[in-house]
Formats: sequence, structure tokens, C-alpha cells
Amino acid sequence: MKDVAFIELKTTGHGVLEMPSGTGKTISLLSLIVAYQKAFPLEVTKLIYCSRTVPEIEKVVEELRKLMEFYSKQTGESNNFLALALSSRKNLCIHPEVSALRFGKEVDGKCHSLTASYIRAQRHSTPDVPVCRFYEEFDAVGRQVPLPAGIYNLDDLKDFGRRKGWCPYYLILHANIVVYSYHYLLDPKIADLVSKELAKNSVVVFDEAHNIDNVCIDSMSVNITRRTLDRCHTNVDTLQNTIQKIKETDAAKLKMEYRRLVEGLKEANVARETDVYLANPVLPDEILKEAVPGNIRTAEHFVGFLKRFLEYLKSRLRVQHVVQESAPQFLKDIFDKVCIDRKPLRSVSATLSYFYSFTIIIEPFEDRTPTIANPVLHFSCMDPSIAIKPVFQRFQSVIITSGTLSPLDIYPRILDFRPVTMASFTMTLARTCLCPLVCNYPQTHTFKNTLTLTLVDSVIRNYGNLLLEMSAIVPDGIVAFFTSYVYMENIVASWYEQGILENIQRNKLIFIETPDAAETSMALEKYQEACENGRGAILLSVARGKVSEGIDFVHHFGRAVIMFGVPYVYTQSRILKARLEYLRDQFQIRENDFLTFDAMRHAAQCVGRAIRGKTDYGLMIFADKRYARADKRGKLPRWIQEHINDGSLNLTVDEAVQLSKHFLRQMAQPFRQEDQLGLSLLTLEQLESEEMLQKIAKIAHQT
Amino acid sequence: MDEEPERAKRWEGGYERTWEVLKEDESGSLKATVEEILFQSKRKRVIESHGQVRLGMMRHLHVVIDCSRSMEDQDLKPNRLTSTLKLLETFVDEYFDQNPISQLGLITTKNKRAEKLTDLAGNPKKHAAALKKAVDTVCLGEPSIYNSLNLAIQTLKHMPGHTSREILIILSSLTTCDPANICELIKTLKSLKVRVSVIGLSAEVRVCTVLTRETGGSYHVILDESHFKELLMLHVKPPPASSSSECSLIRMGFPQHTIASLTDQDAKPSFTASGVAPGLSLGGYFCPQCHAKYTELPVECKVCGLTLVSAPHLARSFHHLFPLQAFIESPVEEFQEDRFCQACQGELKDKSIFTCPSCRSVFCVECDLFIHDLLHCCPCCIHSQSAP
Repeated sequence: MKDVAFIELKTTGHGVLEMPSGTGKTISLLSLIVAYQKAFPLEVTKLIYCSRTVPEIEKVVEELRKLMEFYSKQTGESNNFLALALSSRKNLCIHPEVSALRFGKEVDGKCHSLTASYIRAQRHSTPDVPVCRFYEEFDAVGRQVPLPAGIYNLDDLKDFGRRKGWCPYYLILHANIVVYSYHYLLDPKIADLVSKELAKNSVVVFDEAHNIDNVCIDSMSVNITRRTLDRCHTNVDTLQNTIQKIKETDAAKLKMEYRRLVEGLKEANVARETDVYLANPVLPDEILKEAVPGNIRTAEHFVGFLKRFLEYLKSRLRVQHVVQESAPQFLKDIFDKVCIDRKPLRSVSATLSYFYSFTIIIEPFEDRTPTIANPVLHFSCMDPSIAIKPVFQRFQSVIITSGTLSPLDIYPRILDFRPVTMASFTMTLARTCLCPLVCNYPQTHTFKNTLTLTLVDSVIRNYGNLLLEMSAIVPDGIVAFFTSYVYMENIVASWYEQGILENIQRNKLIFIETPDAAETSMALEKYQEACENGRGAILLSVARGKVSEGIDFVHHFGRAVIMFGVPYVYTQSRILKARLEYLRDQFQIRENDFLTFDAMRHAAQCVGRAIRGKTDYGLMIFADKRYARADKRGKLPRWIQEHINDGSLNLTVDEAVQLSKHFLRQMAQPFRQEDQLGLSLLTLEQLESEEMLQKIAKIAHQT
Repeated sequence: MDEEPERAKRWEGGYERTWEVLKEDESGSLKATVEEILFQSKRKRVIESHGQVRLGMMRHLHVVIDCSRSMEDQDLKPNRLTSTLKLLETFVDEYFDQNPISQLGLITTKNKRAEKLTDLAGNPKKHAAALKKAVDTVCLGEPSIYNSLNLAIQTLKHMPGHTSREILIILSSLTTCDPANICELIKTLKSLKVRVSVIGLSAEVRVCTVLTRETGGSYHVILDESHFKELLMLHVKPPPASSSSECSLIRMGFPQHTIASLTDQDAKPSFTASGVAPGLSLGGYFCPQCHAKYTELPVECKVCGLTLVSAPHLARSFHHLFPLQAFIESPVEEFQEDRFCQACQGELKDKSIFTCPSCRSVFCVECDLFIHDLLHCCPCCIHSQSAP
């Protein structure tokens, strides 16, 4: 592990690492990079650690704190590292009124209304305009004074802010290590605000990055519904009114304001040339250099232009059938209908300059409810590499890492970069604590028509029997994943009719994940309670859902994971079809390959929920014959694949039950730390011994 | 004998995959077989138990037997319930053999309820009879750990502070149906200093882990029937007493057994104060304090509350206090003399041999375990002592 990452740092390239979760991936990366940073302070100035959710960010900061404590204990000197966790205003604001708001958007809006430059300018003339005193204080003193060295998580930052009276959100980052969410680096709208001043020779780590391509695509895509347009309309109206009013009072000032707005674009260009900022992918240089087109130069024209565009979008949303067109087609259509040229549009929203990678899809209704008109315009990005490109270009080393990144070679392809190293690590275990089993259920339906489910009754019954048998022999918590909500609803309904649910409930309580977040978190809470007090519970959830992505089922919360079917993405979705087509044309990735890859990474993600460390153990049951095929098996992460042998393939329910019983009994035997010593835990002497060094070298070579 | 039925019906035993045990690991590191770990822990147990610790010699143990639906599972032959009860019978015998001044009670739990099978008593016969009768019980519904613990506490909490209060749960089900939050009960148990140990018949259940950890008991899950027996026998040895438990001098009576011969004209049959068969009898043990008559020992006098034991009883629990020292383990290569075990006269084939620290005699693994588990004294030491 260390060898490989070290090579990468030296050669200043990008890398992909796969390591099972709970094996100390975070800490080994952190310690390595920090050590490197200490040794060569000029080559690597900054570490940017991107993770997905707030709890994960907090976890990273905690690991870092431990590491630093260890450092200072070993070397005896206090180190001057400054590490920060960053989050949205919602999590960081300490203003008493603003932080009381519940939604991120409201907080952002309120904060903006208190700290925006024009508001503060107004205050100079009329002192009764409210401003945020924390920001004022920060602006007055805090800007020059750097934070004292140390590790700050979100709460620490808030504390510090309160003590000093500074706004924690705006604390400028002179930190050596920054921990924050993906979006701060990938989403162009946010990256511009936060990340543009990061130095070129930083090391960027994307943790839990198995979904990074989807994050990239999401950050570049826009969905427009009728509601958005309506709101947009009112906003444009307000803008017009304001302009009218100001015009009557102060025409000259308005002109100035507007010129500044337009010239802001130009300034950005100047700044970029001096290489101060992280390049924004949506505003390519050539557009900035172009003059602002005449028809949007003055305020009235601009408003008029916006209105026309809005009307056009509205008319497009009135369609009765599904429309899919590429960006050039769309622009042509605009030109024909409302006489808007491409150029002004480009200046306004320059995303269009990459238009080959984008597709516009207008759907008049949702597939599930074809009778209810709910038009949506998807302006969808097909190429994940657009969003991440500036990151790869700008920073010397980018490391993408997760528990499930197999097959490794596909990520560089879809993200369009050349990795220096790609490695997949397995766990060295003192006991085999995972037990993957593949049951021999026939394919329930072809994945082409997931929506028109032609479920075979006997298969549903078989699934039910498997769950019933497992509920009788697996202690505490079981998590069962289905491929989609519709599928789950259908199966659970027929289980109910067949009386299987009733039987299962004798052994364990049943909880179900729903699309509703509040309901799901309630179910989760109760599920954990049931696992805690010995009643035992089953959580029925959906692959790709909230549960499968963010929630860990440590120890007794997930003693078994059952995966019913292969979680293929819904292939009828037009966005996906367009994307598959794009992948085929641009990257020569066959549709089937991508679909399987996507399905398997989700399956791996789901079953990986159960094992979060070496002392943990869990069953992984793949209830579908197709997992036994080489093309599917080969795409599972190596640390799972390693444990699938011929004996655990194509099992009947009885065989699976026998194996699981045996496994669970073996795992329940007392397991102490000294049993791990020498195998998965090394003392310093053992680590330095010749034999062990050779073994490590061997493992490194294999990868 | 216990393993006979299982070996006889191999096809019922499921997929045992014996070849996997034999398989050598290529790198020699990735998989340490669980068996090896188990063997080591077995050895460790022998060694561990030989420290000089204070033991709770007067034990009050409630055994809770799960009689829920899952006890009908046939992975122990003929089924879990029968197998458990059979093993418990030997356990009860063994328990009273090794802990003569202790008491035991049986509780069953099924269908969300807990029932007392036998009260706390020092008589093995009564328990054995109850266990024999329990074979015909119909296994129903879910067990309730909460209810059974509660029931056990009712009697245990009145026991004097110097005795060790223990509960042993034999749990087959993976779920428990409780009327209230079990965490509260665990706190109560902890404050009452009740040790709860669990033997699981199927898998590790979280609530049992917490329960045993909090109350200082042990939690084991069986692998097969022989392992089950082994785990059960672990509970025969008195547990180390917690340092906070009271210690006090206990008054004990050592009554003589007076046999009234039939020829004695003065002998009058009299009632026994308690016993298996209450009724009139001639001879018996008379309490030295109040002259109440008992037919069996050990017993607590119903009249004056004196503990009545016989000297051999005390002697039998004596070895727990002064255990035989652990034998020294060394590799067989280093041993120069004839490679024969001093006890069984078999050839020393295993990797390591065991030497008695006082008489330097050499033993094999099996004999080492036998000496420590059953004999409690080194045969060679005894031999040399008895010579003069």
C-alpha cells in the first residue's frame, strides 16, 4: 500500500486505489501524505481530502487528530499542521438567527443577504441595515491573522469562531490539510467560491469515490420542471421592476452596475491567466475573450432576452411526447423559434460550449405515472470527465480510492486520465470473516424490462424461503437489498399473500426503506433498536438507495446481507440510454460492459455494508445465478472475489443454510487481538523482520 | 458415546467439507484455522485457571433452558432439546460433585414466558429427575430472556452476600421476546452482582454479548456437541469471586449420620425436616444446633439456618483452592530421554511435551489435560510421596 502510493507521490501522477473499508484506508493514506509533506514541504504543500458526507468528513478529521497526537508523542515536538474540515453554511453558521433556519438554501440566502458587498456598502450610508457581526469582525481582523495550528473539525471551527467572534465559514484556508465534500471541488458553482485558491502542488484524495462519475455528471446536469420556470418568471419580473425603479431614480448608477456585472466575466479571465484560480470548466477562456454580444449589453435588453428564453423553454415543456436532441439541435431550434443566437447564450451560460457532451431530453410525464403530466427538461451531461478535468490538470497528484472500485481500469477510462498506479488491496485476515455465497436462483426477468415485471411466482417464493431460513439462523440484523422500489413492493406484496412475511416475523421484525427520507431514517432507528435488544430485525431496502450508499451496518447491525437479483440500472431511462450511446461513441465502452460494471459496483457496495473492519464478520448472499458467471464475478472487488470459491457457488437454500450456520458458529468463537498478531497485526519487530519485508514486497508486486 | 449418533449418520450432518481442514495454506498466513485458535485457548484455560485467586465456592446457580421452537432444530442429534437435557444431566452431577456446598435451580423459557422447573436446591437427584421429565416438553414460540432473568433474580437476590450468584442461560433461539427494555434489567443484575453466562447454540447474539460483558460472565457459542459439552463443563469450576463481594466466616455444621438399628428398642421413627421423600424414617443427620433431622447432605437447616455439610464435601472442593501447577510446555525435539508419556505410556508423537515442574515427569497433551481436569494431582508426585 505504502509503496504504491509513495511511487505515485514521487512521480506526481494520478492513481486509483481499492482497499476494503475498515482496514485503515484513511489513516494509511493520511499518515503517508503527512509524512511526505513533512519530509518535502516544498513539493507537497497541501492535502485536500474529499469525502462524501458530513459524518465521513468528521471521521477523517478524527483519524487525523489521532495521527497528529501520535506524531507529537513520538517526536516530542508540537507540529505546526493546520487541518480543517469544511462544510456548508448550514453546518457552520454561528449567527444566532441564521443558524436557526433549517434548510441549506435558506441559510445560504440569509447569509448572503447579510454579508453581500452591496448590503455592506449600504450600511455605510444607512447604519440600521442589518449585517452579520461575525463576518464584519472577521473582515476587520480575521483576514490577516491565520488560525493557530491544530486540527479543527466542524464543531471546533464553530467554537473558535464563537470565541473570536469570527465567522467560521469564511475563515480563510491557510490550512495544510483540508477535509471537505466532493462538491467543493467538482461542482463548478461551488468550486469557484471555495477551491479556486488552492495551490497547484496539492495532493487531492477522493475517498469513497466509487460513484465519482455520477457525482461529476450530476454536478454538470440541470433538470428544469415547470415549477422552476414559474419561479424563474417571477424573478425576472422582479428584476424588471427593480430596473424600472432604479432607472427612474438613478440611471447612471445602473449602467455602472451592469457594466461591472458583464466585466466580471472578463476579469475572471485575467485572473486565470496569472494562474491564481482553479480553472472553471464551464467558462472556457475563448468565451471570456470574446466581446459581450450587443443584444445583452444593456439591462432592458438583457431582461428581454431572458424573458424570451424563458418563454421558449415553457413552450418546449408543453410537448406531449418525449423529445431527445443534442445541444446543437437545441440551439438551432431556439434560433428558429425566438431568434436567439448562440453567442449571447454562450456568454450567459457557457456550459453550452461543450455541447457535444450534453443532451437535452424533454419528457412530458414520468414513466411510472403516464397519465399525469409533469414535464421535465433534462439538460444532461454525458461525460463525467468534464467536471473533473480541471482537478486532474491542476493538481499534481490525485488519488481516487474506495472499498469498491473494481474493475479498476474502467475509472481512468470514463474519467479520462492516465493513472500512474492502479492497485487493489485485499485484507489480510487472521480468520476469514466474510462468507460470500451465490445462490442458484434463475434470472427472474431479463434486465431489459425492469418496469413491466414478469415475476415468476416460484422465484418469489424461493426468495421468500431464503429470507425465512436466513432469518432463523442469522442473529440480530439482516439487510436485504432489492433492485428497485417497484420490484420490492411487488415481491413484498406477494410474500404477504403467500404468508411468508408472517413466518418471517416470528423470527425477526421487518422494516422497509421507502423513498421518503424521514420514514427511512425512522425505520433505520427502529431497526437498530431491534438489533440492539435482541429481538432481531430485517431491513428491506433498495440498491442505489440511501441505505445502500451512506449507512454502515457494523457488527450486529448487519450479520448478513442478501442481494436479491442484480442491481442493473433502469435501462429504459432516456438519460441513461443517451449516456450509454455517448460512452460507446466516445470511449469505446460497450453498453453491456458499462451496465454490468455499474451493477456490480452497486452490488459490491451493498454487500460491503456488512463488513466494516477486521473484527467484524458477515454473510454475503447473492441470490441470483448470474453472479456465478465469470463476467460478473470478475467485476467484484478482489477482497470479495478472493473468498468466493467453487464450493460457495450455485447453492440451494439448504446448502446455503448449512454453510451459514457453520460460518456463524465459527465466527462466534472468541477472537482476541493476540490471535491477529503476526498475521494482520504486526509489532514493530515483526514489521522490521526480513521475512515480513519480503512478504510485503511480494504482495506489492502482485498488485 | 456422545459422538456416536453424529458419526453414524454422516449424511445428516450436512456439508462438513472435511478436506478444508486438511488444506495447507499456500502463503501460510491468510487463514489461521479456527481449530488452532481453539486449541490454544484450551491450553490457555488450563494455565489461566491456576492463578491464586479467591473463588466463589458457595455458588447459587440458576440454569435457564431455552425451550423455544428453535430447540427442535436437528443439528444436534436427535434434536437440540434432547441433547441439551442429556448434557445438562451430566453437568448437574458434575456440578454437585465439584461444588458440594453449592445450589442449583432450573428455569425453562418458552412462548414468551419463563417457568421454574426446580427451585434452588443442593440435591442433584431432584434436578436430574426434572431434566428427565423435561424431555417430553413441547417446544413453542420464542424465549424471553428478560422474564427468565427476572424469575432468577427473585430468588437470587435473597441469597447471602458471600455466595456467588450466577445465572447460566442456554440459548438456542436468536431472538428474545421481552416485555420491557432489557438494558434496565442488566443494570439491576450488575448492581446485584449476579454473573450471567450464556451458551449459544446457534450464533452470536448482540444482547447476550452485552449481557455477559456487563455482568462479568462468559459468552460462548458451540461448534458441535463435543464442544457444547466442553463449554458446559467450564461452568463446573467455581468462578473467581469479585473482590467487592463480602467475605465472612460462615458457621457450618458437620452432623454425624446416626443409624438407629432396628434392634434398638428406643428408636422411634421421626419426620425429616426436608428431603426428597418426606416422611417417617429411623436414622439420619441431626443438626448439631437444633437437632432437626435430615436424610441428605449438604443442606441448609430449615429450622436454624445452619449450613450442614460433611467433611468429604469440603475436601472435594478443596482442590479448586490449591490447584495443580501448570505443566511446562516444551518442543519434543529438545527432549533427550525415552519418548514415552509417564502416564499413559504412549509414545510422544505431538509437537510439544509437558513436564511437571516438581517431579520433572513428562506427559503428552491428552494426559496433561486429563491430569488437570480430572485428577487434580500429578500421579508421579503422588507416587514418590507415598513411597516412605
